[in-house]
Amino acid sequence: MSLLTLEAAAGGNAISELLGGIAPEGTPTWAIWLGAAGAAVGLLVAFVSLVAMFSVWLERKVSAHIQCRYGPMYVGGWHGWAQTLADGVKLLLKEDMIPLGADKPLFVLAPALVLGAIFGALVALPLAPGFFFADVNMGLFLILAFSSLTTIGVVMAGWASNSKWSLYGAMREAAQVVAYEVPLGVSLFVPLMVAGTFSLTEASAAQSGWFGMHWFIFQNPFMLPAFIIFFIAALAETKRAPFDLPEAESELVAGFMTEYSGIRWSFFFMEEYAAMFLMSAVGAVFFFGGYHSPLTAMFPDEATSGLLYQLVCAGTLIFKSFVGVFVMMWLRWTLPRLRIDQVMSMGYKYLTPLALACVLGAAIWETIFA
Amino acid sequence: MSSTTTTREYFQNVWDSLATTFAGMRITGKYLMQKPITVQYPDERLPIPDRYRGIHYLEQEKCINCLACARACPIDCIEMDAIRHGKELEWVLFTLDYQKCMFCELCVYPCPKDCIHMGTEFAFVSFDRSEFNHDLLSYKGMSREARIRKREADIKKAEKEAAKAAAAAEKAAQEAADPETPEEPAS
Ligand code: SF4
Ligand code: SF4
Repeated sequence: MSLLTLEAAAGGNAISELLGGIAPEGTPTWAIWLGAAGAAVGLLVAFVSLVAMFSVWLERKVSAHIQCRYGPMYVGGWHGWAQTLADGVKLLLKEDMIPLGADKPLFVLAPALVLGAIFGALVALPLAPGFFFADVNMGLFLILAFSSLTTIGVVMAGWASNSKWSLYGAMREAAQVVAYEVPLGVSLFVPLMVAGTFSLTEASAAQSGWFGMHWFIFQNPFMLPAFIIFFIAALAETKRAPFDLPEAESELVAGFMTEYSGIRWSFFFMEEYAAMFLMSAVGAVFFFGGYHSPLTAMFPDEATSGLLYQLVCAGTLIFKSFVGVFVMMWLRWTLPRLRIDQVMSMGYKYLTPLALACVLGAAIWETIFA
Repeated sequence: MSSTTTTREYFQNVWDSLATTFAGMRITGKYLMQKPITVQYPDERLPIPDRYRGIHYLEQEKCINCLACARACPIDCIEMDAIRHGKELEWVLFTLDYQKCMFCELCVYPCPKDCIHMGTEFAFVSFDRSEFNHDLLSYKGMSREARIRKREADIKKAEKEAAKAAAAAEKAAQEAADPETPEEPAS
């Protein structure tokens, strides 16, 4: 898969074209490719860090205001915007500790795998019509596959830590993801049937009509329940409350992260926030019109290849995704954590059959009316 | 949890979980929009009741070094020393050890001059334990009552002094009656 993304990153998109344009005559193609891949990785890391930093700040603010507090107010001046930056520096400066009984290679590998998987998933996310790392035609599959790869990292972390809390957390994560992967995928069949494609760019492009409001969610009555199921399953997939059993701090110290500290620990957090953003972005692309909004519909056809249009599109999708992230936070600070048996029965007994019913209904609707 | 669920209960559960989630989100959303009830502590402070028992405030000029407060203290945290020069007292020390003090206010009642009070200041942080043996002579945080009393006393004193000055000026003007250097009466 890495080869595929490398090729896609280097072939035929803005970065490699730009590099090919400015590189001196006679530069070998592989050098341009390598440069483009390096630039893409740099961009991706910067993007994930920025998203995670902003989300952590947002989470603090949302939680604080829901509890009628202010949250961070001092660091950086305006409403403590640099609080996460300060925390990042603190985490970087912390001692790198590996427990004596831990399985060292796995312990070190786990956070990297978790974060790497989320980078891999973000590769297939198009922020604007010409603003993506790889236009994979099975983009949704790629995203779902990579985001369940994080589970392997979590289980690895739990096992390698050699601690009962970590192991319990990891086992819960495994059980939870197995239960919720099914409704997550099945609920996405509904927009897939309407879109007729797995590619995120094509799905977005299919929603450009109706002055930017030709969203899939308005096209089929089974979309809304499918979206609710998708959203709940995405919450479970990203280990967010009320499904945060893998890290249930009141029972398991910090779950699979108990033995981690410093920068490795922050990798798990970056993954969590990046995954929230990713899941919200997938929801936005497949239910809420992708990067199309009345704002982007105001551009005349000739202007759609311009940089401004691309930026407005990217801004639209990022905004929609952060609305999703905000709702996830809102839910986290509203609902108490479920018990593991409730999580299981919800996944297997409620979400899966309801998602299947939605798919059936949507299929019938599509055959009759579309 | 019951092991069997009827169809009716099943859909009731679905509905209940959605409805209760939305109800909960409405409540938290309301709080989210509301103005926070906490304040930005060191910059902004909530009003402290007048009779709050914080760090003591001593009206040094009224105190007569009678030791009544030190004797009343059940844990002996007040220490004082002064040298008497006729009617004047030259203070050497008046310390209160806040490592021991339990803020019981028992030292305040016996004071014959009503000059030791509990103030409103409560935050007392220090890098060194010895600093908790606090010197009340230099402490400037006052309770509200004490501040009012001090302001009233100051006003009275100022009035008295002004009257005295006016009288003196009048007297001087009458005695001298010199047109070359007319003295303006100080008001
Ligand atoms: S408040 Fe109580 S403990 Fe403290 S100095 Fe006064 S009498 Fe002693
Ligand atoms: S009781 Fe009052 S007057 Fe006597 S020493 Fe204490 S503070 Fe001074």
